[in-house]
Amino acid sequence: MPSVTIDGRKYEFEGRPGLLQFCLDHGIEVPHFCYHPSMSVPANCRQCLVDVGAPVRNRATGELERSDSGEPVIRYFPKLQTSCSHTLADGQVIHTKRTSEKVGRAQQDTLEFLLINHPLDCPICDQAGMCPLQIQAYKYGPEGSRFEFRKTHKPKKVKLGPRVVLDAERCINCTRCTRFTDEISKSHQLTIIERSVRNYPMTPPGVTFDEPYSMNVIDLCPVGALTSADFRFQARIWEMSSTPSITTTNAKGSNCYYWVRDNLVLRITPRENPAVNAYWLPDEDRLAYRRFNEDRPTGPSVRMDGALKETSWEAAYGRAAEILAAAGSGTVFLASARATVEDNYLLMELAHLTGGTVAGYLPHVEPGHGDGWLRTDARVPNGEGCRRLGLQPVDTASLVAQIEAGAVRALYVLEDDPVAACVIDLAALAAVPVILHYYNTTNKTLAAADVALPAATVAETIGTYVNEEGRAQCVRPAKAIRGAHRTLMMRMGLSRADQHGTPFDRWHNESHLINCKPSWEILPAVASAAGHALDFAGPRQIMDHIARALPAFGGANHKAMGPMGFKLPEA
Amino acid sequence: MTDFIKNPVVALPERNPAPHFSEQELVFSAEEKARIARWVSQYPTPDGAVMWVLWLAQEKFGFLPPEVLRLVATELDIPYAQVYGVATFYTQYFKEKKGTYVLDVCTCFSCQLTGGCDILHYLEEKLAIHAGETTADGCFTLQEVECLGACGSAPMLQVSNGPFVYCLTKKKVDALIAALRAGRMPGFTSVTLPQDEDEMGGNRRTDVESTIEYAALPIAVRTR
Repeated sequence: MPSVTIDGRKYEFEGRPGLLQFCLDHGIEVPHFCYHPSMSVPANCRQCLVDVGAPVRNRATGELERSDSGEPVIRYFPKLQTSCSHTLADGQVIHTKRTSEKVGRAQQDTLEFLLINHPLDCPICDQAGMCPLQIQAYKYGPEGSRFEFRKTHKPKKVKLGPRVVLDAERCINCTRCTRFTDEISKSHQLTIIERSVRNYPMTPPGVTFDEPYSMNVIDLCPVGALTSADFRFQARIWEMSSTPSITTTNAKGSNCYYWVRDNLVLRITPRENPAVNAYWLPDEDRLAYRRFNEDRPTGPSVRMDGALKETSWEAAYGRAAEILAAAGSGTVFLASARATVEDNYLLMELAHLTGGTVAGYLPHVEPGHGDGWLRTDARVPNGEGCRRLGLQPVDTASLVAQIEAGAVRALYVLEDDPVAACVIDLAALAAVPVILHYYNTTNKTLAAADVALPAATVAETIGTYVNEEGRAQCVRPAKAIRGAHRTLMMRMGLSRADQHGTPFDRWHNESHLINCKPSWEILPAVASAAGHALDFAGPRQIMDHIARALPAFGGANHKAMGPMGFKLPEA
Repeated sequence: MTDFIKNPVVALPERNPAPHFSEQELVFSAEEKARIARWVSQYPTPDGAVMWVLWLAQEKFGFLPPEVLRLVATELDIPYAQVYGVATFYTQYFKEKKGTYVLDVCTCFSCQLTGGCDILHYLEEKLAIHAGETTADGCFTLQEVECLGACGSAPMLQVSNGPFVYCLTKKKVDALIAALRAGRMPGFTSVTLPQDEDEMGGNRRTDVESTIEYAALPIAVRTR
């Protein structure tokens, strides 16, 4: 097998790997800005320079020339090579900064050039703390600058589009953003304009950077030149916790991080998963952060004298149990493609225990919304999970007919909004007692609810979602809810301060805690109030049970799903 | 460039400028389309021909406002943003309306040493405009440019991205301005190379209107 020597150590390789990617794959640090594994290699930041030598061969015989000691003679390239654009060949000898002073010096000089017109406004820059330029200037850069003249002033806070703001002064012209629009999203909305010290990425006149994937350039940008219009100046990186999870805006289940400070989700960024979303996240997924913070309920409530009155959880469970008992087998349960597999399973169990029927789930399909990439026609995350549980999309006409005929004596809605979905008319529900698990006070079914139970959102619960390709993915809580819950706290994402600060520093606080509960806690409590036993220790045990009981979920326990998900057997 | 060092501010181009040309004007003729097709056929991908087509468009429309860049992009079936990037990269593509004649006066090293700045200032006074501006009658735009590669016959200027005028003196400038006002463009002039005089006959070109023999004149003769 061909091999190369990097910093004195021999590595074997197959095929024709690029040197920089090979180094990154083997844990050898090579500083770089413009290189991105999914895009073309322009080699324009000049930061990943290495010294490369190749063994000398006799031109006539093709044999390796050897020194007196029998070692192959190595002839070095006359100049340093950009490792991103260098393809490995057998016998090559490579020196990174660790073994070559020349490389270190070159990288230092490159950084001095990059920083000449960089504003050095790190104290107010959104990227500070996770900025490759900042980190590499610290690790590889010069101690100071020799540039004594006025720095170039370029346009600042330019709104390229509705969601992306440009600070051209910070730009180092790596062209990652323009390559993203040219090669990945193919919207061709950005280009580098002007030349030399005046250049920066820009939309051409009359064009707005409004493609549905525009915010990916914010993550791609190795400096703080492209920032989010929403997240700009909202928080420092180290104040937030980032919890690996998935987005639930559509049926793709793109992997993401939820960034949380003071129990508010401040932004959502992509998490690399080659099997689902690679490195990308559509804007609609990122903008969903608001619904975790805004219009959240303050606690459970029951309808008294025609109005919803806030009450205790126990009282709400009791009222729900009364309704279920009164309705008996006339209860219709509406499952939800927004809720986890575990919660839907518990709902089905509760229906089984009380003798009610499960009508199915609302599929929330919007034909034409999907783009064959990371957006799907289905606007809910768990349609496939419901299907695999044996649920069907609800037969709207039949449900409405049943309600009108008075056959539905109670309606139990799990984390959904049939009124807003125009499935059921508010007036039709006037005579039917409704128990509702809901996320936001904007839920239109709330107007008909007799028992309103605030449910934990994807950012606050543990559970499983199955994306439309049949990949089961486990979510974990990113933010705390009111009331300590051991199962949730064990898996909560931590911030840097949580991990490294002392307990006395009070980095985090108790503000913005929502008084809600995960449905896997509410449903057994309702069952218990109604005199039924629905005993599971937690979502992990529920999923273990489902994985054993249903072949469509074979093997899909939380451990098997891990951070990257678990491909379910074909159902 | 000197102004930029003193005041290094890069302005944001107008994001939504009003169009200069109507839809009816924004078309290439059949003959132009044939030329474009020929250029495109010379390259593996159509974007290779973008500079040719931009040049053609500039000759046709006088300058390259966004709607003309869009026309070029549509004609070549390449992204508009790419055309815009290319057009802004090269200073010879005019993004704003210029005078009928654009005078690019070189003030780079060789020309500066032999009086290029004096020529520029003389032109500024004569035309009553500053470098970078256009005369009120729209006849001349005066620009200060970097090296145009004719150091041997400095100081020099270029007229409208076209012919060079060498070995400038105030008299020569006066004559040039008078000729241009009368609508007479200077012809393309070849300057012989002294080192090739013996072997290659000065490397004279046969396809130009006039040839001048290289002669390094004392600086004083040229500018004062």
